[in-house]
Amino acid sequence: MSGEITRNPKLAWREVDGAMVIISPEDSQVHELNETASLFWKHAEGKTLDELVERISAEYEVARETARADLEELLAALGEKQLMFVAPEGKG
Amino acid sequence: MPNTPVMDGLIRRTVQRHLPWSVHVDLTYRCNERCIHCYLDHEDHGEMKTQEIKNVLEQLAQTGTLFLTFSGGEIFLRADLFELLEFARSLHFDISLKTNALLIDSERARKLRDLRVRKIQISIYSAEPEVHDAITKVRGSLERTLAAIRFLQAEGLQVKIACPLMKQNLTAYRNVQALAAELGVPYVLDMTITPKMDGDMSLLQLRSSTTELLPILQDASLNPRACSPNSLEAETISTGGATGSATSSGIESQAYEDIPCSAGHNSCYISPYGDVFPCVQMPVATGNLRKQTFEDIWFRSEEMNRVRAVRESQLPLCSKCSIRQYCERCPGLAQMEGGDLLGAYERACELAELNARIAGVANPVSAMHAEKSNSKNTCSIPVPTVVPEVRMGSN
Repeated sequence: MSGEITRNPKLAWREVDGAMVIISPEDSQVHELNETASLFWKHAEGKTLDELVERISAEYEVARETARADLEELLAALGEKQLMFVAPEGKG
Repeated sequence: MPNTPVMDGLIRRTVQRHLPWSVHVDLTYRCNERCIHCYLDHEDHGEMKTQEIKNVLEQLAQTGTLFLTFSGGEIFLRADLFELLEFARSLHFDISLKTNALLIDSERARKLRDLRVRKIQISIYSAEPEVHDAITKVRGSLERTLAAIRFLQAEGLQVKIACPLMKQNLTAYRNVQALAAELGVPYVLDMTITPKMDGDMSLLQLRSSTTELLPILQDASLNPRACSPNSLEAETISTGGATGSATSSGIESQAYEDIPCSAGHNSCYISPYGDVFPCVQMPVATGNLRKQTFEDIWFRSEEMNRVRAVRESQLPLCSKCSIRQYCERCPGLAQMEGGDLLGAYERACELAELNARIAGVANPVSAMHAEKSNSKNTCSIPVPTVVPEVRMGSN
């Protein structure tokens, strides 16, 4: 997973009182992200997972493996709801 | 009403923090129909230019607006509509449109899909062309509007039919209901006919009487529709079943609790001339975006704060009303029709009594009617020793 992380461009979103609120135009589904996921939404756009792992492990002094596992889990959860995904390499 | 926990929580927080998360912008008052019940002056008195609207949209995004509704007038008469939509999407707004759809062809429908417009509300007054066209005063308008709906549906866009009901189309709700079912789209019946924006009350004669509305309010087929959890549609469609106000700029929910509605709390209305109001149905001028910033008006306007301070439990007369739970009092209409933002007005009281009667309340009388009756009876007795008891249903 070394492609760039991308928000689903179909979505509408706004930070509401510290939390990211996201709406899908196709089914009017409303999602509210928790604090961690909101931070991820704001800062992950256009970055690769490797870049985020480096940054998180440096800023929060956690092992790279731990940071990677946490970020992969978060990305998988957002991907399952079709909110964010990793763009195929070369199309980033 | 099937409120969702996510939406209710968001509504409470946006109200508490005064975040304007839903804003209705009329891009123009010009129109290519001449609907007999329309409250607007269709002359252009100096609409905001493209760059002015873009500037407003930037301010709204910065202040926290998520839900953006473009309406009019007829929005497709703005040559810059798609430029504005594209700009709004670049700011990540959720976009809904209100239109008569006369100018939507397959190419425009495709563009709307590409811009991820979430919902398009279209007015239809009857499934019978002669009835619909007599209200819009444009021959062939129903046919063109229906063709547009099919273009939009072919692109997978969500369409909602709004059917304002008045004397001229009162019995049409059945065929509009059937039309919506045939098209597979939701619909809302809107019984609100408002005075003109300049205060002219002549349009109110188009309203059906409460007696005429009785069969509609009793119609079991107008029950709330089932909605999926956390779907925004649960908030916009289900209030009061398939009936409601198509002009409300806010997202309705029980989460508003003791405040009358979303107006001024988490929603507002902006006219084509940059005037900001708490709601399209509330003519309380709070400022103009050509002279002030949105933030200045939204957070610091005295009038906006006056509207914001209203609590249902403190309304002088309505808070004492025994049938309050059956009432859908609109503070804007209270201002327009009764001249008092905090007051009662005839239409709401009549409808509350009708709703209460349908719910099985024996001889329901609103507080305003009870007070009038008391006052009348008191005057008719020269030296009353006891306040006459109100005889329910005697007036």
